[in-house]
Amino acid sequence: MIQINGLTKTYGGRPALDHLDLTLRTGVTGLLGPNGAGKTTLLRCLATTLAPDSGSVTAFGLDPASPSQRTALRRRLGYLPQDPGFYPHFTAFDLVDYVAILKELTDREHRHAEVRRVLAEVDLTGQARTKVRKLSGGMRQRLALAQALLGEPDLLILDEPTVGLDPEQRMSFRALVSRLGESRAVVLSTHQTEDVAALCERVIVLRGGRAVFDGTPGELARVADGQVWLSAEAPATSRMFWRTADGRYRTLGDRPPAAEQATPGVEDGYLMLLGEEVAA
Amino acid sequence: MTNWHIPDDLRERYLAGTLPPAPAMSVEAHLERCPACRAAIPYEREWLETSWQRLESRLAGPRPSPAERFLRHGGVPDHLARLVAATPTMSRAWLAAVVTALTFAVLAAREAPELMPVFLVMAPVLPLAGIALAYGPRVDPAHELMAATPMAGPRLLLTRAVTVLAVATALAALATPLLPAPPGLSAAWLLPSLAASSGCLALSHRLPVPIAALAVGGLWLAIVGTGLLVSGPLAAFGPLAQLGYAGVALLLILRIRKASVS
Repeated sequence: MIQINGLTKTYGGRPALDHLDLTLRTGVTGLLGPNGAGKTTLLRCLATTLAPDSGSVTAFGLDPASPSQRTALRRRLGYLPQDPGFYPHFTAFDLVDYVAILKELTDREHRHAEVRRVLAEVDLTGQARTKVRKLSGGMRQRLALAQALLGEPDLLILDEPTVGLDPEQRMSFRALVSRLGESRAVVLSTHQTEDVAALCERVIVLRGGRAVFDGTPGELARVADGQVWLSAEAPATSRMFWRTADGRYRTLGDRPPAAEQATPGVEDGYLMLLGEEVAA
Repeated sequence: MTNWHIPDDLRERYLAGTLPPAPAMSVEAHLERCPACRAAIPYEREWLETSWQRLESRLAGPRPSPAERFLRHGGVPDHLARLVAATPTMSRAWLAAVVTALTFAVLAAREAPELMPVFLVMAPVLPLAGIALAYGPRVDPAHELMAATPMAGPRLLLTRAVTVLAVATALAALATPLLPAPPGLSAAWLLPSLAASSGCLALSHRLPVPIAALAVGGLWLAIVGTGLLVSGPLAAFGPLAQLGYAGVALLLILRIRKASVS
């Protein structure tokens, strides 16, 4: 469905994407990785807002390198950028309506019905007439998500979609995205491993522009099998440990003295995979 | 709750529209509360949904800005009017800057006629500045949000550029009769303006829009400066030069049109 071959993009000689090969299909795929791993660059290449230095992306048989195919592909995708800017003097309705026009929804009644639908999807119906500058950060994030849902896109690209959402909104978001993922490809980047565990059928971990893991959240958790420990004392040698709510220390790596083994989670697997880079 | 329901004859008269206002309002008040009586009112689902959608669109939809209403009144389709009116450059600040610049140029020319060329040189630069500020990640706060839509790129840039050009041209045209010169000379900025804006759009296929605008603006000043050195301040506005601007504008417009279609 979406084929990425040898995708490479460098900024000032530093590779953000380094000959990346991936295939994405229907379902929710999560991208994890430290800052600068290439998540946003990959999503921007997928969203056709950034041209790679080399390699290719094809989605639904369309190659964004060709202007006409790029336009055809844009008709089938929804994109929530990491830093969505807004026109602060627009109302929430105006902003989504404006994007709907850019998405070629020209019939006013149909367009307005679609705008109301997506605002309702993100629970912003009550704020439809509120100016963007008066919306809270979480509301703006939901507004940006609303515009991405316009036209029921076949490919939904979400760059850190849960930033600024409170736990209740995050739960609604998960319900919405998991429903959308039943019939289309959803690719999201996040720093929240719990979002990945709750939402994604597949998780890809990027580091230095390369995919260092590609599997299910369960498989990612199993990377830390036999390497997660709980102990009463802080370990002397490990750098990957933290104090938990019950006062014990959770350590990743070698077994500290008198420690008992714990069941690994997605976060443990992710931390083990990236090792010292994230512990530093 | 009540066990009373609308009798058949009353319902028939209500549906036929022959009930006086007071009983008709009573029937409607009851219908709001009584699902059983509502179910007995025949309606065409599709018609009702379409009508409701239309009504909701009018009542709950966005309130068009004065510029949008003006365009719609002039027959511009509503989606295009909204697109045009939302062009970032079309802010009060830019419009005020254009009006101020034109006013100063006119006042200067009226005070000292030898300053007339200032207006002629400046008029083509104003739309260029507007186009430079109309599209791109540095000037449009919502650029990234729009960049993945099918209209993004040359189509949106063209729409915004034409809007800016039309407004700047209209304002300069309003100022032109106030200049102390014959109409032919007063309007000598028009073709250079068209050529410069077309040049900027054509270059924007290869360069970021602000750079393209700077390059074309620089070229325009170089042409005027060369003319000044060779044969005086109005050399760049003579008949032969105008023919050249017209030719360049025509060629560039054809090129932009070809690129847009392809």
